[in-house]
Amino acid sequence: MNILFIHDAFPAQFGRLALELKRGRGWNCRFLVQALSSCPTPTPEMLEELEIRLVPLAAEHRNSDGVPWPQVHGHYLEQCQAVLGAVKASAWPRPDLIVAHGGRGAPTIFLREAIDCPIIVYCEYYFALRRGDISYRIDLPAAEPAPFFPRTINAATLCALVDCDAGYSATRWQKQSFPARFQHKIETYFDGIDVQLYKPGPAPRSIAGRSIPPGTRVVTFASRGLESIRGFDIFMEVADRIARARQDVIFVVVGGEEIHYGWDKLHTQAPSFKEWVLKRRTYDLDRFLFLGRILPEELATILRLSDLHLYLTAPFVLSWSMVSAMATGCVVLASDVAPVRELIDPGINGLAEPLFDVDRLCEQALAVLDDPGAYAPLGRRARALVEERYSLEACIPPLGDFLERVAGRTLGQGSQSANQPQHEEQNDRADGGGDDCAYHSA
Amino acid sequence: MAQDPLHVLWIEPGFPGRLGGLADWLTRKRGYRSTFYCHTLSPRSHWPTSVGQGLEVVTFGVGGAARDPAVAWTRTLERGLCYAYGCLEVLEQNRPRPIDLIVGRSAGLGSSLFAPVYAAAPPVANLLDYYYAPRANDLADEAGPETPLSYTLWRRSMGAIDLLDLEQADLAWTPTDWQRGLYPAEYQASIEVLCDGVDDGLFRRLLDGGRGRSRTLAGRTLAGSTRVVTFVSRFLDRLRGFDRFLRLAAGLQQARQDVVCVAIGDPVVRRGLDVSSFNQNYAAGLLSLHAELDRDRFWMLGACDPATTAEVLRASDLHVALGRSYPVSRSLLEAMSSGCVILASDVEPHREVIDSARNGILVNAADESAVLSFALRILADPAAFAPLAREAEEDVRERYARSVCVPRLAERFSKLVLAREGRR
Repeated sequence: MNILFIHDAFPAQFGRLALELKRGRGWNCRFLVQALSSCPTPTPEMLEELEIRLVPLAAEHRNSDGVPWPQVHGHYLEQCQAVLGAVKASAWPRPDLIVAHGGRGAPTIFLREAIDCPIIVYCEYYFALRRGDISYRIDLPAAEPAPFFPRTINAATLCALVDCDAGYSATRWQKQSFPARFQHKIETYFDGIDVQLYKPGPAPRSIAGRSIPPGTRVVTFASRGLESIRGFDIFMEVADRIARARQDVIFVVVGGEEIHYGWDKLHTQAPSFKEWVLKRRTYDLDRFLFLGRILPEELATILRLSDLHLYLTAPFVLSWSMVSAMATGCVVLASDVAPVRELIDPGINGLAEPLFDVDRLCEQALAVLDDPGAYAPLGRRARALVEERYSLEACIPPLGDFLERVAGRTLGQGSQSANQPQHEEQNDRADGGGDDCAYHSA
Repeated sequence: MAQDPLHVLWIEPGFPGRLGGLADWLTRKRGYRSTFYCHTLSPRSHWPTSVGQGLEVVTFGVGGAARDPAVAWTRTLERGLCYAYGCLEVLEQNRPRPIDLIVGRSAGLGSSLFAPVYAAAPPVANLLDYYYAPRANDLADEAGPETPLSYTLWRRSMGAIDLLDLEQADLAWTPTDWQRGLYPAEYQASIEVLCDGVDDGLFRRLLDGGRGRSRTLAGRTLAGSTRVVTFVSRFLDRLRGFDRFLRLAAGLQQARQDVVCVAIGDPVVRRGLDVSSFNQNYAAGLLSLHAELDRDRFWMLGACDPATTAEVLRASDLHVALGRSYPVSRSLLEAMSSGCVILASDVEPHREVIDSARNGILVNAADESAVLSFALRILADPAAFAPLAREAEEDVRERYARSVCVPRLAERFSKLVLAREGRR
């Protein structure tokens, strides 16, 4: 089978999947992407075994980060055009299936002009009008787009959803973020965590050239970007209190200073949210190691040293880092929000406390650090859960079957089966005229 | 069900637009208070009578991309957001009295999208018009190979604002089944079909007969024996079949000396989907190709107010609606209401209101000789076709009259408001 994967970045959600499908099923997996990602970076095997092409970008192309919010949809349409142009220009054979993802909607809506094959979109998330994701942190100063952008941000997602043949989300919570009318189209398949990479075990007690004395407690925090939606500021407040309570703790912080979601830059007027947070109070920064973005192998090593992993997200797409920490057998103390609750059963395989309740977060964190052995069973059960349900081994086969089933709509296997989810396993068990608008070619 | 008065915030790019008549009726007949937010105003002669008497009209400005005379097609939604933002700005300045309901019609421009930022409590009802198919309906059915790809891409992208409106709406409705059927399957079940109706008080047949006797039309006197053939559209454009009407008129004039053809509509086409004629005088270009037309018997009245349109329709012996597949024009229903014999193109939207040979004639509009032949038969023996006009009138009285349609809408509005209040 020929699959064309489309994504803003590579490898992101599809790189490892494609590698496994190529190796396991012999499928030809080709990629159209805008850029090679720096978090995580592509592995040499991926670059060697998969065909990857960059979408040629127009001279006037703007990086999505710099696009004012009213122009985001227009930017998406430009991206759709660029993808169409790249598909037409490629000499690749007609794909049997297209699988696409976009930060703000899969750029697939023009592809029917060039290719007649089923299209699957990765349904990462449907933004809430309020009280969720980018609009959740009402404790922070308001930003100008806050009342408006959530009312328009889903336009591209809706266009892609209407157009696609099927979709999939990584978690039930993500699927349920979408309007009910589309849920029949969306199945749930987690991407899969590499449990051979992220596994418990000994690790050298040295991080970024700094040795960690035996007996020193390590508290970890990881996020692609150190931003409010992932609770970086709350983490720092909790860490500060822990640092004052115990002298034997160091804090290892992984993540870049880029803002990926929300308006941290607008409301802080600072170069980065990290900088803004650090200026707001005095921290004992000798106790903190800010590592920036690091390779997955480095993260795996650091997580092995962790006595406590803090994951303080707002209700939003679950980070791989939390699942990776669970796979590594870390004791995870997370914010008690619905996406976290899908994996963490507090007191059984992790801990959860209200996001804004710094007192309880500190109390719980200190209890873990006081007696790590008492909480070790939580980490072991977290590891077992990931192995059983969220590992590459558990996730890739049903996901591959799903892709094959949808592709089968044109390969003679009939559309009925494609419409009826067969793999629900870990996933869905608990699922309960424009007269005034003008076309201008300019 | 009781229909208590509501304070409704109406939002549409232009006034009176499509919602103005509805607001007027509800203000006059149900005691509603209506605040109508719009960007552009039609001439006062087009305004309904309740303006200033319960119906307050407020204009808002637009900025950004909406100010540019033309923007790239990829910026259509951005333009819409400028309208939505412009509306919100004035709302926040004026702070109108407590609103029970927001009723919007985007017409592709998203005007009501941000109104809930000002007033989060009231439910939102959105009138939806048209969901573009990439290569079907309207003028796309006839698009040739010269059509640029970007036009098709634009059509593929045009649904975005409607999808946002649909997601935001507590009630979404289309005036016809055909229009609802254009929307993605996922949305159809949640779209109601509610016709907003035509003003059957204004558009009605004169009991003493406007036809078959000497009458004055748009300031010109017609002999009793003169046959009047009418065409009415917002724009004299190809979408509504002005090209076909012109060819028919030429044929009729040649065949009969007693025919006067009357066209009402703005000759400058301001319909975005008509790429070749947008912002151009399509009618003038077409007329230059029909030198054989006797202009004394081909009257172009331009855009007319409702009273003049009603007068013309009352005098019509044959009303022609040979448009492409596009939502049924209000003028077609007004012509039916006025007791005209209708000759219309046999397209799906027309089939929803016209049952051929019962209340009008549907004809393959591409077959010019068939069109001409039907028209001549009707003009030759108006009495034989009068029963069709009677049926059409009756259908309007029963199904499309404002007095029938708007109370149904009012009932839905009341239910919506009560349901929202019940949730509080």
